[in-house]
Amino acid sequence: MSRWLPIVAAGCLVAVVALVTVVALGPRPTPSVAERADALAAELRCPDCQGLSVADSPTSSAREIRRQIDELVAGGATDDEVRAHFVARYGEWIRLAPSGPLPWVLPFIVVAVGVGLLAIWLRSRRATAAPAPSLDADERRRLREEVEALDA
Amino acid sequence: MRTLRWLLVPLVVLPLAWLLFQGFGRDPRQVASPLIERPAPDWSLTTLDGESLSSADLEGRPYVVNFWASWCIPACVDEHPVLAAASKRYGDAVRFVGVLYQDAPAAARGFLDRYGDTGYAHLLDEPGSLAIDYGVTGPPETFFVDADGIVRARQWGPLTDATMTEHLSLILPVTTR
Repeated sequence: MSRWLPIVAAGCLVAVVALVTVVALGPRPTPSVAERADALAAELRCPDCQGLSVADSPTSSAREIRRQIDELVAGGATDDEVRAHFVARYGEWIRLAPSGPLPWVLPFIVVAVGVGLLAIWLRSRRATAAPAPSLDADERRRLREEVEALDA
Repeated sequence: MRTLRWLLVPLVVLPLAWLLFQGFGRDPRQVASPLIERPAPDWSLTTLDGESLSSADLEGRPYVVNFWASWCIPACVDEHPVLAAASKRYGDAVRFVGVLYQDAPAAARGFLDRYGDTGYAHLLDEPGSLAIDYGVTGPPETFFVDADGIVRARQWGPLTDATMTEHLSLILPVTTR
């Protein structure tokens, strides 16, 4: 039984990797103009709301930004060009999700560093708590001699 | 090892506390405008008096664009006399333009009747594309554009005599400062 285990495990691993590859690289349906505009509206901040996206807000600023997104997308602008259009006016603040990899990667780096420091700390604690080294033969002999001398 | 452990607390906690304090200590809308040192947006709009005015009409002279609303109380009321006084004093060297931010013309006229006419034109910006071009997040917000059409300063929140003088000094020709 146990000699089949590595083969089954390897098979499972291959299947998972194949599935992930197919899902990641497989053909994706091209989003329609309306779907792209919806997605962009959801990632841009409504400028006169508290933490709401353009898609979620009924204010006239949000409606006008939504109209401009529709216009830009219909006019052939790429998603990045639409984002850049609003970032040029409001700055990065207008984007609800941060751009660039650092904000996404930083939490994992912090956790990894924390786990590393914890491991170092635990190891050092174990080192200090280790039992004292036992006596070598020479010290044993001296101790016995001294105890015998006391008894005498 | 023991000293390392004690060093860890300030090393980790202090930067984190500083980061959080930076984030909570200020309004995110107050970040520097990306328009600074860039050409001011172009526009062509109708004024409260029904006349048409465009950014091209202001070319060659510095100008101040003030986004305001009659419902913006007390900030817009507070800065109103500052704008009126500055336009009176620097009117020859600097053009002043008001822009209604999500406001009805009748309500804006009522505001001007009550708190005094500023003596310069106010633009109707419906549905708000000029406010978006300037990246306005709420009134009052004021932009200072030099004679070359470059945005030099932005005031977020109400103007005072001091901030008005400070921002004007960036766009005024040397002789009138």
